Amino acid sequence: MSTHLPILEIRNLSKSYGAVRAVNDVSMHIERGEIAGLIGPNGSGKSTFFDCSTGLARPDTGTVILDGQDITGWSLNRIAREGRMLRSFQKTVTFKALDVEENLIIAGQMFTFPSLISTFGIGGMARRRVAGLRERARDLIKMAGLWEVRHQPAGNLSGGQQKLIQFASMLMPEPKLILLDEPMAGINPKIIERVVETIRYANTSLGVSFLVIEHNIDVVTSICQRVIVLDQGAKLVEGLPQDIIQDQRVREAYLGG
Amino acid sequence: MSLTDTTSQARRRDLRIPLAIVLLAIALAVPFLAGRYVTHALIIALIFMLPAHGLNLLVGYTGLLSLAQAAFFGIGAYASGLLAVHYGTPFYVNVTAAGLIAGALALPLGIPALRLRSTSFVMCTLGFVIIGQAIAKNWISLTRGDMGLSSIPKPEFALGPLSFVVSGTTNYYYLTLVICLLATLAVWAIVRSPAGRNMVAIRENETLAESLGVPTWRYKLIVFMISAAFAGVGGSLYAHYLTVVSPLTFQMYYSTTVLIIVLGGGAGTISGTVIGSLLFVGLTEALRVAPELRMIAYGLCLLALVFWFKKGFAPLINRAWVAIGGSR
Repeated sequence: MSTHLPILEIRNLSKSYGAVRAVNDVSMHIERGEIAGLIGPNGSGKSTFFDCSTGLARPDTGTVILDGQDITGWSLNRIAREGRMLRSFQKTVTFKALDVEENLIIAGQMFTFPSLISTFGIGGMARRRVAGLRERARDLIKMAGLWEVRHQPAGNLSGGQQKLIQFASMLMPEPKLILLDEPMAGINPKIIERVVETIRYANTSLGVSFLVIEHNIDVVTSICQRVIVLDQGAKLVEGLPQDIIQDQRVREAYLGG
Repeated sequence: MSLTDTTSQARRRDLRIPLAIVLLAIALAVPFLAGRYVTHALIIALIFMLPAHGLNLLVGYTGLLSLAQAAFFGIGAYASGLLAVHYGTPFYVNVTAAGLIAGALALPLGIPALRLRSTSFVMCTLGFVIIGQAIAKNWISLTRGDMGLSSIPKPEFALGPLSFVVSGTTNYYYLTLVICLLATLAVWAIVRSPAGRNMVAIRENETLAESLGVPTWRYKLIVFMISAAFAGVGGSLYAHYLTVVSPLTFQMYYSTTVLIIVLGGGAGTISGTVIGSLLFVGLTEALRVAPELRMIAYGLCLLALVFWFKKGFAPLINRAWVAIGGSR
């Protein structure tokens, strides 16, 4: 696979809900190894754009190319499993009734077992695979600083800790690209630091590319190499974070809704 | 496997194996200790344990509330009955075919039904029972309509020149017990497998599971088919035990009974389903001797359940298990 190809390329993506054009002819790409930011005022189409790129919603028109492969119209689970493009959700974060370790093991299973039928096995092969997953899960749990709570139901933990679980879960399958939908929303500053650290670690040490929707502008400027701004469903501008926050059009979009 | 793993497993086995042996010994001794009627009640309880195990996989583990178990139970009963009456096939062929046919029919039924959400899905599965009964009543050339199929032979096992007919209540009890044990082991294997973990993930949060690569749609379809196969085997045992099958085998009452077993015993636990079958079916059958008290006792049981055991009797079983020194 040639390395100068972008990891994700989206061409002319549009999506309407009834009369509302949520996303209007947006094109963008994410470079391999990049952390890109996606910002915009509320209702600018960021989440719809995410949903259409990851298979949760079907775009009306447009093409999604992941690592050189056209994945337009693939389902959410197939994009995750075969494309290794994972996404987070704003609200939905963990399997609340299950403990932290189980949460991570579930996240890795479909990438470890070669077929759906093989997941019904309980023989030595299946047990070895799960044991391997457990080991990897424990490494990631340590990295996320959740070792002490690993046997607790995820629902008992704080919102920030649950975001860390979700984040660690997405690293289980050795993803190529992770799309984060407001990872810092509603969590305390201490955990924000930890999430930022984890994103940097995943990016530099594991080679994961990122596209991050985030309202916390400090976080955006500190981790993103490039920022794309959406406004009213269309791409307004893209560029370096420091240029973007100075940009007059961006200020108007945020202030003069 | 590390050393610590084996020792902790061995410690757990200390209690599990003796308990299993004791329960098995009781189960084997029942026909000699209890009367013929109690044995009969237990046979019915064991037969209903099969659709209940299937439903537990659906409701308890995958989070899909279905009322279709009676439909697949009926399909299994008719499949067995028709094969036995028209082709004279042996019991083991009938029971296998009943499971396979019910499981296979669950595929075309499940594909549209599983596209529906929550209450619509429940109503749709209820429709299957009604359709099943209508077909059994009206396809007279095949099913003989309301007259039903009669003189379905008792199971017969032939080994070379030797043949053995499972005729008496005691013998049928053992046959049902063996099949139930195998079914319970099969459920145990499914929920312990990685697929079982994925099923729980679907129950807990379907979208999240999907976003982590779990093909939720295919899992739901497969579990629906497995649950139907369990019900089909139960129907086959029912047909061969009563030796008659009528359109009443497709009965809403059976679907609700199976649902009460699962929810009352404790959805998402195997022991809950086992105890639920014995309690809810065994009890109501055993109480047939006092018909005026029967439905009252049944109703009181349900009331107690709703008020005091919202999660079924499973937490109670767990407490008892811990009390006698079991781990976890």
